[in-house]
Amino acid sequence: MTPQPPFRVPAFRHPLQELTVNPRATHRRALACAATVITAGLLLTACGGGKDDSKGSAPAGAKNAGDKSSTVSIGISDKDCAPTPATVPAGTITFDVSNKGSAKVTEAELLDGGKILGEKENLTPGLSGDFTLNLDAGKYQIYCPGAKTEKTDFTVTGAAEKTWKDDPALVTATQQYATWVTGEVKELVAGTDAFTAAVKAGRTDEAKTLYGKARIHYERIEPTAEIWGDIDGRIDGRIDDAATAADFTGFHRIEQSLWEKNSTAGLGVLADQLSADVHDLYTKVQTVEYQPAAIANGATDLVNEIQSSKITGEEERYSHIDLLDFDGNLAGANEAVTVLLPVLKVKDPTLAATVAQRYQATADALKAYAATPGYENSGYVDYRKVTDAQRRVLAQAVDAYAESVSKIAGKIA
Amino acid sequence: MTATPSPSHGPADGSDGAPDITPEPATAAPSPVSRRRLLGAVGAGAAVAGAALGAGGTALATRDSGPGTAAPGGEPRAATVDFRGAHQAGIATPSQDRLCFATFDVAPGATRADLAALLTTWTAAAEAMTLGRQVPGGEGDLNTPPDDTGEAVGLTPGRLTVTIGYGPGLFDDRFGLAARRPSALKPLPALPGENLDPAVTGGDLCVQACADDPQVAFHAVRNLRRLGFGTVLPRWMELGFGRTSSTSPQQATPRNLMGFKDGTRNIDARDEKVMGEHVWIGEEEPQRWVRGGSYLVSRKIKMRMEQWDRDRLGDQQDVFGRYKSSGAPLTGHGEFDPPDFAAKSGGRYVIPEDSHIRLAAPENNKGLRILRRGYSYTDGIDKETGDLLGGLFFIAFMNTPDRFVTLQRVLGAHDALNEYIQHIGSGVFAVPPGLAAGQDWGRQLFG
Repeated sequence: MTPQPPFRVPAFRHPLQELTVNPRATHRRALACAATVITAGLLLTACGGGKDDSKGSAPAGAKNAGDKSSTVSIGISDKDCAPTPATVPAGTITFDVSNKGSAKVTEAELLDGGKILGEKENLTPGLSGDFTLNLDAGKYQIYCPGAKTEKTDFTVTGAAEKTWKDDPALVTATQQYATWVTGEVKELVAGTDAFTAAVKAGRTDEAKTLYGKARIHYERIEPTAEIWGDIDGRIDGRIDDAATAADFTGFHRIEQSLWEKNSTAGLGVLADQLSADVHDLYTKVQTVEYQPAAIANGATDLVNEIQSSKITGEEERYSHIDLLDFDGNLAGANEAVTVLLPVLKVKDPTLAATVAQRYQATADALKAYAATPGYENSGYVDYRKVTDAQRRVLAQAVDAYAESVSKIAGKIA
Repeated sequence: MTATPSPSHGPADGSDGAPDITPEPATAAPSPVSRRRLLGAVGAGAAVAGAALGAGGTALATRDSGPGTAAPGGEPRAATVDFRGAHQAGIATPSQDRLCFATFDVAPGATRADLAALLTTWTAAAEAMTLGRQVPGGEGDLNTPPDDTGEAVGLTPGRLTVTIGYGPGLFDDRFGLAARRPSALKPLPALPGENLDPAVTGGDLCVQACADDPQVAFHAVRNLRRLGFGTVLPRWMELGFGRTSSTSPQQATPRNLMGFKDGTRNIDARDEKVMGEHVWIGEEEPQRWVRGGSYLVSRKIKMRMEQWDRDRLGDQQDVFGRYKSSGAPLTGHGEFDPPDFAAKSGGRYVIPEDSHIRLAAPENNKGLRILRRGYSYTDGIDKETGDLLGGLFFIAFMNTPDRFVTLQRVLGAHDALNEYIQHIGSGVFAVPPGLAAGQDWGRQLFG
């Protein structure tokens, strides 16, 4: 499946963007539920991905679709598979598919963009069958591979689906989050410029103390930065992400020299590139249009990231300031949760309380390792000093928090 | 919960491509029904699923295997085992082929109410899974992770049983359970020859999931663990294969990793009188809530397989007191011949004094018996030596853990087998009785 950016980015919808596979992106799913399937009295939701970002995160389901029932006949032939009628109201729609005599065309599918919502296969001449879908208003296609005209338009009419944009509280939440992200990236730019200036001036010790101060802002907004896989890779990629030695750039490449070689030699070009990339990122993030569900799932990804790359000591393998990154990821997740909390408190107060309590437990667990000024001025102890047993305690708090955060997206829409 | 089937991620026609031109006859012959069909059948499978859902999920699930299907042991293999009853399933139940056993500690900060709520949730999830259904909940919302982790979809229920037990630590002052402590529940004393690793010892709770399919058993524990986030922390987990005890003569006696038949003289779990005498907690127990339950003792027993495999056959047989091939006692011809512990040859006992079966035999232990229900395990390769790591994950049920302590004091000190084994993990748990209709583990424990 082609990875998709988690947030809608109207100004940057170059096709390449969607084809860029970012191996480090932890989340790339803009989700919307397009149809429900009703068969033999069973109601099955058959949502397979967002067909349209503008539908936002609202699960379309039967509650949004109309309650009308229609039957559409589809006759398969060598020529085509035109539906009759070609336009029906939203609701429960049964597609009667029959093959009157085509040997080469034996199936019909209902497509929503590139996605198959329903189909009837293996209809050899003389056979017929049906499938039933609960469809929202929209443009669909009937597809019969092998026919002269393979795709015929099919339209479902009805009131526009209700979306999260009809809820002012969610609109406010997305705006708050956007403002916060932009502010963080602004801090990232300032911090990175100070850091790269020290690197270029050969002030190794100063660069080490500025490294974490710049990075924490990146760790807070990673779900947004990961929209642009190439920039993210250049800024935050690890040595094992790089295809060639020359592809290893950005913070961690500089980190490697600073701590492994205690040197800034040869880092000038890398510093300039890093600075340019974060400036570029600042321009780009201001165009992002956030969806509530994507914000929530971005929070889950941030907490998962703590588990997969901070608890393990993987990310800051040279500087060992992993606990500062932990802090950044946790703060980023908490900001996302916080903007959604007013809505969540209404939709699911129990979950809201659980999330808040588990956040606090995680923050408290982390706080046990806070230090002033801390290892390399990070505000935390050297992560190598944290024992396996202590890491397990941290991980258990993170796990529990992540589990509760993962339930938010489905509740707020 | 059958009203909310699992999401179907495929196209609307979930059939295998067969055109459903003819409706299936209402009286369709029972056919193998997988979890997937049970939960999400559409298209061609819908007639079966629709009819069955109307008739109740249980009926459908038990049709999972036809009468012709038999386990390797020869007994007919019912697809599901009743979750509720006087006793918990997974004790007297004929041993399934596979085990997933996990213990948990209650998380720091979790309250009595949290634990009670989790046990209620666990009950519903365990019951659903034993019926071959998914963990309840989940409407296929693309923005929410599915409630069930999904790896058992398409598999049969596999006679899954989920058995819960409570460790001594649970009855401390944390949850107000001190006054409900089952009277014989306390940590096991130090026992001769053991070398216990805290990482595979103890726990506030245990879950024993047994099934004929390892993925079904693992799925059960994984999903309970997932539901437990924030309330319980996994402490250790063990996967078992090759049941090492038959709990019914109907089952062929399996072999342990030493190549010997194990469980020849085990309690026949169908014998209610013997079970009542040795296994089930009876009226003598002052804690009424645990009557009809049992105690589970688990021991992770490492086998020194390389050394054992180099031991000459005659000695291997002397160590056990049985013939390796037939399983017969050294004084007999058939596996089930009673051992003659008095028989001597050349002035020495035919079944040696330090042989395993002599030391463990009820007749030499004042009639003491336990119900063994263990499995083989492996942990791969020893990092230091390159030797195989594995052995017996011993599980036994009894009406007081004192029975195990008595036996193990003898075995741990004198058993010739000790040259080749070592107890490296341990657990003791009170296993509550079965649940009545409408009851759940939370209310049962907290009263």
